[in-house]
Amino acid sequence: MTALLEVRDVHKSFGGVHAVRGVSFDVHAGEILGVIGPNGSGKSTLFNCILGQLAPTSGRVRVDGRDVTGLRPSQLNRLGVSRTFQLLQVFPQLTVRDNLILAGQEHRGSRLGRLFGASDAGVGPDAERMLDFFRLRRLADERAGSLSYGQQKLLDAAMAFMAGSRLVLLDEPAGGVNPTMLVDLRERLEALNRERLATFVVIEHNMEFVMALCSRLIVLAEGRIIAEGKPDEVRRDPGVIEAYLGH
Amino acid sequence: MTDLLQLLIAGLATGAIYALAAIGFTLLWQTSQTINFAQGEFVMMPAFLALIAMRWLGLPFWAALLFSMLASMLLLGVAFRYIVVGPLIRQGVLPLVISTIALSILLKESVKDFYSAEAQPFPTLLPDTPITVAGITVSLAQLGVLATALLTIALLQWFLAGTLTGRQMQATAQNPTVARLLGVPVERMILYTFLINAALAAMASLLISPIYLAKFSNGETLGLIAFVAAIVGGFNQVRGAIVGGLLIGVLDNLAAAYVSTAYRQAIPLILLVLVILFRPQGLLGRREERAV
Amino acid sequence: MSTRAALLIGLSALVVLALLPVDLTTVGLPYPGLRRYGTYILTLWLVTAIAAMGVNLIVGYAGQETLAQAAFVGIGAYLTAITTKSGVPFGVAFAASALVTFAIGVVLGFPALRVQKHYLAFVTLAFSVLCWLVFRNEQDWTGGVMGIRDIERPSLLGLSLNNHIRFYWFVLGITSVLTFVLSWVLRSPWGRAFTALRENPLRAESLGIDVRLYTLLAFALGCAYGGMAGSLYAPLVEFIDPSPFALGPSLIFMLMVVIGGSGTFLGPFVGAGAAVLLPEWLRAWDVYYLLIYAVLVMVMMAVFPGGIVGLAMRSLPRRARP
Repeated sequence: MTALLEVRDVHKSFGGVHAVRGVSFDVHAGEILGVIGPNGSGKSTLFNCILGQLAPTSGRVRVDGRDVTGLRPSQLNRLGVSRTFQLLQVFPQLTVRDNLILAGQEHRGSRLGRLFGASDAGVGPDAERMLDFFRLRRLADERAGSLSYGQQKLLDAAMAFMAGSRLVLLDEPAGGVNPTMLVDLRERLEALNRERLATFVVIEHNMEFVMALCSRLIVLAEGRIIAEGKPDEVRRDPGVIEAYLGH
Repeated sequence: MTDLLQLLIAGLATGAIYALAAIGFTLLWQTSQTINFAQGEFVMMPAFLALIAMRWLGLPFWAALLFSMLASMLLLGVAFRYIVVGPLIRQGVLPLVISTIALSILLKESVKDFYSAEAQPFPTLLPDTPITVAGITVSLAQLGVLATALLTIALLQWFLAGTLTGRQMQATAQNPTVARLLGVPVERMILYTFLINAALAAMASLLISPIYLAKFSNGETLGLIAFVAAIVGGFNQVRGAIVGGLLIGVLDNLAAAYVSTAYRQAIPLILLVLVILFRPQGLLGRREERAV
Repeated sequence: MSTRAALLIGLSALVVLALLPVDLTTVGLPYPGLRRYGTYILTLWLVTAIAAMGVNLIVGYAGQETLAQAAFVGIGAYLTAITTKSGVPFGVAFAASALVTFAIGVVLGFPALRVQKHYLAFVTLAFSVLCWLVFRNEQDWTGGVMGIRDIERPSLLGLSLNNHIRFYWFVLGITSVLTFVLSWVLRSPWGRAFTALRENPLRAESLGIDVRLYTLLAFALGCAYGGMAGSLYAPLVEFIDPSPFALGPSLIFMLMVVIGGSGTFLGPFVGAGAAVLLPEWLRAWDVYYLLIYAVLVMVMMAVFPGGIVGLAMRSLPRRARP
């Protein structure tokens, strides 16, 4: 069975800096894969190469067997892949509800059709469901910019799911979120994984979060994978401990 | 053949002046993300400051030149940095762009309203006497302009690459965040960039006004040439601005001789269109990382 | 603000505007109306507002910069003047102006938007100068610096619009339709996409929004509004020459939109009003009005970049904001 996401020998250099050196891994449908590693190990750059914000210097990326290397983010999004960003990226001037509608609108009908159709492009009911699912209902008409950081993070995660994506890459979803909301967030993600069979790849620094959420981990250091496996195995791997302590 | 060479030299002379304007513009963009839409007017004004010094303050020519250079650095460098750009940097890019556009109108109208709407003759630094070198006749003034501009560019390159301050400025231009971490006084570097831009613009003004006469509307053409030269050269490199400026100067002079004068101004525009269509990173630029 | 409320307010404004130049003393109301020149200024304001709406779409909603709007107005004006003088009906000339300027917008925007963000500003700057050169030099088509004169006002369904009030109502009608169209676009999912790509193009792209295409569409549509404004300008002033279509006026279009309030619905109307009326009020010092305008803009950008409408909105209670 082909994996949902196949990353093959991806390299990325910027001038003299070789940020990603030959990374290969598979992600299977329904998995929650964690990507961990010390700062500067190339995790975000790897994400950017998979998702089209950057074009890899070499290597291939396949989604569902189809080569998507170097495609633009909007194209990947329409193939069912979405992401969140490390630096919070909601649209502060739009309301929470509008943010969600925005995240889903490009996936319904045609662009021209959207000009003449309903103002919410038919995505309204989905947005309402998402508001309830992430418990953001009472904030629905507030400007996204006025929400607390943790709430914005929830919204950010919700937006990644509006497109009905089967594969979602989350870049440090727990960053800066206070501990009580973290449990909430993890719960919501686990629920989405179960109910929608959504596959996740998660970059995280918060070990507790990652260990509890992910079924499998890969560890990146200096642009290479140095360990792979179940969270418990990886935690005990001497190479991994070395990489973290060494920094 | 000799005609062609003469045109070439004349072209290089004006081109070197255009390069000065383009270099300043590029430096400002690199170090402080400031797109100065008033750059053309910055090259128009200093000549009028010199004329004011001579006519209203009664200063002799050499003193007026010095006055103009200093006043330019003060007004177009320091004042520009702290009064115009400073308060606007935190409002975002668009307000700053609008403000420099408004500034260009302000400078242009000020000269038109308070000095004169007529083109003013401007004295040359060197007389126009013809010299014949290897069978080619050029004017002493042209050689002087070429030499002065090239000397200024050479000095600037030496400064940027050979002195500590210069290298710090380059570091700030490439990556202000990292530069700050390395202990480079970024704020001061940015101020220096503004001062250098003002000085280069003043030098360009004083060199080109004898040729094209000083007129309040010069800014439009000169500004456009500075922008096109910077883009053609590669927008984020000083070397590119130099190449761009020289190229436009030469093409402009050749066009004046061989193409109808009515469309002479179109030369830099056509060049811009070609570059944007076929080599958007400019002649010397590197392909930008895709930024969506 | 709900759609119903907006429509109601719009219709009331329309009625007021329609009655402004009319002498109401004949129906017993103490309002003498406006004379010919006053009506002319009102019509000029509307035409300017149409072009300003186009700039507002490009700058305020799509977050780009255009320094060529006056050139597009010029293209529409010359196209209409030349064709109507050859007997083509005004409606056809108007439609042609819109389509031609839209197409040019696409051709101009497509390569420029592939590259860095500010390139469109420089490309439009260059295009502006190029257009002006063509207007000035191609005497056989445009009459060169002498321009084109005796441009006739059109007739609608056999009714001549020569009368200044009738022409004003004609322009008012067209302005209303164009305003409605723009408002429709902005309230649709397209409008949401524009806001997104203006605020955060990176994130918008990752949500499936084709940033380049939407930006290109916004730019071309904005240019088309310029063309349509030009098409109305020619019969309004009855004589055109290259000077109103040069680089300077293009810069002023940018300024007026930002002063009015970029990204707001009323901004272009307020800005156009200021631009058309300011020279009238400052008549005593009209030599200096551009200077004052420029200084005002610079101060405004530093203190309240949201423009006049932005400032007004801030003083409204939160709920009432549109």
